[in-house]
Amino acid sequence: MPTIRVPSALRTFTAGAADVELPASTVRDALAELERRHPGISARVLDGSGNVKPFIKIFVGPDDIGGLSGLDTKLADRDEISIVPAIAGGA
Amino acid sequence: MRRAVIVGAGGLGGPIALALGRAGIELAIVDPDVVETSNLHRQIQFGPSDVAKHKAHALAGAVVAAGGSARGHVTSWTMDVADALAGDAELIVDGSDDPATKFSVADWAVTNGRSYVIASALRYGGNAMVGAPGAACYRCLFEEPSLEAPSCGDAGVLGPVVGVIGGVAAALAIGLARGDRSHAGSIVVFDDLRTATDPRIVRFAARRGCPTCARAPLSPFELPVRVAGQKGS
Repeated sequence: MPTIRVPSALRTFTAGAADVELPASTVRDALAELERRHPGISARVLDGSGNVKPFIKIFVGPDDIGGLSGLDTKLADRDEISIVPAIAGGA
Repeated sequence: MRRAVIVGAGGLGGPIALALGRAGIELAIVDPDVVETSNLHRQIQFGPSDVAKHKAHALAGAVVAAGGSARGHVTSWTMDVADALAGDAELIVDGSDDPATKFSVADWAVTNGRSYVIASALRYGGNAMVGAPGAACYRCLFEEPSLEAPSCGDAGVLGPVVGVIGGVAAALAIGLARGDRSHAGSIVVFDDLRTATDPRIVRFAARRGCPTCARAPLSPFELPVRVAGQKGS
């Protein structure tokens, strides 16, 4: 089953869980299932049109889905999806 | 490699500057702020006697005291002053806590053909992105600054986290200084350093339509770069 790695900034939605394993055949399906289980989280990742927000990147394994098929990128059983937001901190 | 600019003299800028200074790189350190008592738990380059001093000067002093060469500049990084600050630098390293500054540093570096590292830390994790001429850039990755992204001042950061991310950023910057481009166009991500210390290193492709790459002297679309692990290109 694919796994979504949730960045620390979004773990308030997942009760602190860093990894969420869920059944999904595409990245879009995986995000929909994540939203079903943890309401509100997809609004932090997707815009009102359902596209990935410009300051967030999603990777399947080491690959940016932007270079694959976007949200329609197909998932294999053990794929790991990473959500990587731009963060500003440093001081 | 002789000269580098460090943007931000705080939790990330401190370890970055100390490491690069001891590696023999001459530094210009840029930061408009003064040291506050609340900074001391994570900005370990400073002590109580530095409170109220300008961070840029205090950090430059720490680099010099350790045998390096550095000069502090009490100003924000903006495009208006970028040429004066970085015109003779081969490498720019950002450790600021401002999204617009990170994009500005990356944009300037790309359009002027310089290598760069953008480091960020928040709460329990962070990341460091590596850029070099001809590679996918920071704006290829994140496109535009986020109005939603909290800063350390808003959301806090665990003190040692900036030490880890700053150390990784420094190692990547020294790699660039040695001519190692193996991480160019990739981002090293630490999700939560309380529970896992292994990073994920993810590579990303240059983005068609990226306005910064369009102004680069060496476009990533003109190079037949084979990126390891990349599918579909």
